[in-house]
Formats: sequence, C-alpha cells, structure tokens
Amino acid sequence: MKPDADWQRLSPLALVFLIVSGLQRQVRENLFLFAGAGAGAAFTDWLGVRELLLIVLVFVLISTLGAMIYHRRFRFRLEADAVRVRRGLIEQKELRVRFDRVQNIQLGQPFYYRPFGLVRFSLQTPGAADKEVELPGIPRALAETMRDRISAVRASGPAADDQEHPGPAADASTLFAASPGRLFLHGLSSNQVWVIAGLFFYLGGNLLERFGERMETWMESAVDSAEALVIPGPSWLMGLTVLLVFLLLLFALSGLLALARFWRFELFERDDRLVATAGLFDRREQTVRRNKVTGVMLRQSAVGRVLGCWSLLVRQTRSSDEDVTASRNAFVLPGLRSGDLTLSATLLPGLDWAREFHGISPRFRQFAWSRLLLGLVAALALLALILGPAHWSLVGIALLAALAVPALHLRFRQWGWARQERMLWVRRGLLGRRFDGFDLEKVQQARVTSSPYQRRHDLVSLELVLPHGSISLPFLPEADAAGLANLAVTAAEMAHAHRV
Amino acid sequence: MPAESDNDFCSPADWSRPDGAPDRFSNEALTLDRLPEYRRVELEPVSRRFAPYAVLSSSVFWLIVIAASLIGPRLPFVELELPRWLPVLPALAAAWFGLIAFLDARRRGWALREHDLIYRSGLIWQRTAILPFCRIQHVETASGPLERLFGLMRVKCFTAGGMAADLSVEGLDQESARRVRQHLLEQIRDGDDEAGE
Repeated sequence: MKPDADWQRLSPLALVFLIVSGLQRQVRENLFLFAGAGAGAAFTDWLGVRELLLIVLVFVLISTLGAMIYHRRFRFRLEADAVRVRRGLIEQKELRVRFDRVQNIQLGQPFYYRPFGLVRFSLQTPGAADKEVELPGIPRALAETMRDRISAVRASGPAADDQEHPGPAADASTLFAASPGRLFLHGLSSNQVWVIAGLFFYLGGNLLERFGERMETWMESAVDSAEALVIPGPSWLMGLTVLLVFLLLLFALSGLLALARFWRFELFERDDRLVATAGLFDRREQTVRRNKVTGVMLRQSAVGRVLGCWSLLVRQTRSSDEDVTASRNAFVLPGLRSGDLTLSATLLPGLDWAREFHGISPRFRQFAWSRLLLGLVAALALLALILGPAHWSLVGIALLAALAVPALHLRFRQWGWARQERMLWVRRGLLGRRFDGFDLEKVQQARVTSSPYQRRHDLVSLELVLPHGSISLPFLPEADAAGLANLAVTAAEMAHAHRV
Repeated sequence: MPAESDNDFCSPADWSRPDGAPDRFSNEALTLDRLPEYRRVELEPVSRRFAPYAVLSSSVFWLIVIAASLIGPRLPFVELELPRWLPVLPALAAAWFGLIAFLDARRRGWALREHDLIYRSGLIWQRTAILPFCRIQHVETASGPLERLFGLMRVKCFTAGGMAADLSVEGLDQESARRVRQHLLEQIRDGDDEAGE
C-alpha cells in the first residue's frame, strides 16, 4: 500500500456540485410525493408556507452537510493501470477500476466550473448499472491526462502508458456536427414534449387542487376589479387559442431544452474512440471505444417524420434490464437529417443504411384484429351485463377498439427486417419509427417461439438477445426465422475472439 | 448426455489449431441454406423425473388453496360458510396446470453441439433457445429442495446483457447437470485461451 500522500482530493469547488446534485436528487425523489396525491399531500395540507419553507431549509442543510462529509472523505488515486477511489458518507468504500474494463469516459463541465478550469470526470464499465467512478471537480488537465492514459492502456496495453498524450482535438476528425437549427428541431420532434406536458398537467392539476380555492378567490376579485373586461370572440375560440399557445410554448420549451443540452454538438473520431461534445450550461464530453459499440438505433418520432428529423443512439453493453435509451448517459447524436443516415456505417462498419425491408406475415394483423374483436365482444357483453346495455362506457370501449384497428395496421406496417451480409436492421414503431442495426456476431442468444396459431401457419417469433437488449421480430415465416437464428449463432461462434 | 452433433459447416474449430496458429483461412460468403440447422438436431429429453416434479411444483399452490378451503371453515375459531363445491375450482386449476406441466416436461429437450447449447421448452408457447458457448460468462448449477427430492438440478448460463440474456436449463438429473456444467466451463476456458492468444 502506498502512503496516503499519493491520494488526491477533490477541488473545494466540487462541494458546490455535490450540493447542487444532492438537492437535484432530493427534488427528483420527493417532487411527486409533495406535489402529488397521497401521504405527501395529506401531510402538506395542514402546513403553512412558513413550515414548508422550514422543511425546505432542513433539506438544504442536510444536503449540504452530507455533501461536506462526502467531499471531506473523498480521495482518489491514479495508478498505472487503474484508478482507485475511497468514498462514503457513513461507511467507507474503496473501489478500484481497471482501465481496460472502462467502456465509457465522460467529462462534464458545469458553467460554474469553467472559470476555474475544473471538470467532472466519470467512468462506466459494462458491469456497472450507473457511472462507476465519478470525480466531481478535478482540474481539466488531470482529467484529460487520465482520459488519454485510459485510452492508451485500453488500446495498446500498459506498455503504452508513457506515450505522448494527444490533445483533445489534435488528431481528431469530425464525423458530425449539429447546427442550432437542427438541435431546435430535435427538441421539437423529441418525445420529451409529451413528458413535459404530462409533468405539467400532473403537477398543475395537483397544485390547482391544493390552491384551487385561493385561486378562485383571487380570480373573482380580479374579475370584480376589472369591470370593463371584454372577452373577444366566443369562449371556445378563446379556449382553442389558449390550448394552441400552450402547445407552442411547450414545443418551444422542448426545443430550448434540446439546444441547452446539445449546444454545439460535435462527434469526432480520435484513434479507436468516438467522442461527442455538447452542452451549454453543462459542457460534456462522452468517449466510447469503437469495439464496445454493439449496435445503433435510428429513431424518428411522429413529429420527427413530419420535420424530417432523426436521432441516433449508439448502443453498448448494459448491465441491468433497465432501458437506458432515454437515460442522460445515453450516447445520442441529435438533429440528423435523412442525408446523415449513412453515419450508421461510419459508426459500425458494414452497417449501411437499408431502404428495402422485408415485412412480417400479414397474419400478424389478422391475428391482432381477430383477438381485438373477441376481446371487444367479451368486454361489451360483460359490461352490458353489469352496467346495462345503454351505458355510455360501452360506446367508449367500442370507440377505443375502433381506434385500435388502424393502430394495429400501422404497427404491422412498421415491423420489418433487412440483412446485409452479417448486419441486420430491424424496424418497428407505430407513428414514430425505430431502426435497430447491429452485427449478428454480437448476438448472445437466439430464441424462436411459436404459439398454436403461429404453428398452424408455419410462423414463429424470433428474438435475438444482444448485449444491449433483446430485438424481436414477430410472425416471421419459420424458414426465414430459422435462417436468421442459424446465421446469428454461427456469426457469434465464428467471432469468439470478440467476446463482449 | 446426448452425442454432440457437429456444426459441419465452416466450424471455428477448423479455423485455428489449439495452439492458436491459423491452420487454414477461408472467407467464403455464407448463405442461409449452408448454415448448420438447429432444427435438424435431435434433442435429448430431460430426465423422466422432471415430469412428476413439474406437476407437483405447478399445482402445489392450488393444493394449498384446496387444503385451506377444506380445513379453514372447520377450524373452531373461524366463522365462515363456504359453498361445498368451492374446492372443485382450485382442484380443476391444479389438474389443468398439472396436465400442462406434465406435457411440457415430456416435450422438453436439450442438446450440446460443438459450439452451442440448444434448449427447447414450452407446450402452448414453444420456445427453442440457442446459446453459443463463447457468449457464456459463467455457469452455475442450482437445485431447490423439491428438485433435490427428485434428484434434479438446473444449469444456469449467464451472459452479457442482463437477466433477459441468461438461460436456465431445467430438468437435468444431477449427474448430467454436473457434466454439462463441466463441459461448458471447459468450453469457456478454451475460448478464453484462444481469445487471449
């Protein structure tokens, strides 16, 4: 064991980051409790503003105290082939991560770090659910040295440690850069619009419920005081206008959020790594090793199809069953146009963008429709028995079923696959579309499943398990599915040297 | 253990000698019809003891429900009147799930090829999984009390990509399970050696 002098501490400014991120976590974890229904609502109902502020103050104090202890105890040490970290609030943990295990390197720079030249440095390994090592607040030069040393060790083994460390962009070639206009369009077409809308209505609805009486009183007094208030046009027009303005604001907000998150997005290639830099307030640099890329996913939401806007997600081995496609740590290329889809071949050589796809069997649609009809008849009969034949819910269910008919047709139309030698594209979606492209040699397991209906028609469902999750193709002709399964297994077996 | 059927296509074993030196190299285009066909492999049925085990384990919950519905109303401190026909429902459920489990157990099969493991399961939804040895990260055997009672053991193969990517081969007798585990471990070790060289 080396003496304690080798251990380095975080910058004092890292404390700000720890407090801010601690508070963010507290808000995230408790927001729904306090704004939503349930115990939190019942609890806050009998509290005044002063008590609530006091509780918030206590939360801030606890976060600050926790961050101070964490910061004080945090130590890290750079070794020849690993980084060692000692951390812990109550119990002390020591962690050692070997450089050759590192899958991702991230450098982040919140705006308040910039004047001091500090960065947040984090490492991710295939076995860890989240960032395995995070050093919040170390000098940029040290972080870049560590990044380059890790890359050198990963590329050439420990012997390459002493090589000249390349600068951030000295030997890099830009693969893709997104203009602000494209980023704004990415925000407009991103599904986060609906997440924001959902959050707004959820929180707004609960707050209205809570402060509804006060609002009503305030509105009444406002109307009373404005006697000459005239609403132009009929009230439905006004309602429609408000809704439209709200939607426009929502989309604009989503566009601005995307601008802030991906500001000056640039993807470049440095040695055997892909590096993406982006961010306005929190400038981040993500690095991924090329041979750790297990696939790509091209996404286009329903709005994105209208605007001609795509995004690309670089897939890597995941450790848990949690879907990481929406995670902040996901390696996303935003604001792609259809001309940029050839990037898939740059990221995963051999994976050319496919235009021709084989569909699945039309029996998928027949099966889904017939089961929908059966379910509808059963539900209607049951509801008619319980609620009576003239109840409004019967019409509601019939309408929902009528909407499901075209939805199932769209779903059927989207399923498809295209093979290029050992590369496979799988398309799926409803109004939006997703194209998963991967090398069949990355397949971990092939599963072929058939239901009695499928067996009657020589159909099966194929599931290819990849390091980043499963890809399924339902209702394939048995011969096609068997061919793909055989090919995937063979490719994996022939590529045994590339074990993930 | 079944006889290992060969993957008689361009087998990776043909590629390199055990010492890692390439013996011959070919780069022919692969066509789907020339690939080794998993459907042609004759599968070894699981242990005959698996069927009674499966029947018992799938109907044990319903047997408890039957017992509760028979004994519950007769307990001195319980004031409960249940219809006399009520235990018939869980009995029917037990019979149905037991029958499905029995037929499923008789259909289950497994096979080891040169480079992968095949496992077939399911009666209504029939599934065949093919797991290349080179994708296995580690192997373990497990058996619960009921399985031990029937002399059975599971072989669990763990791969990258979370729990969804793992494969559990159920219904092997203990001897077969140990041999399969040993074989898989040897395959993993050989693969590691080749990859490392």
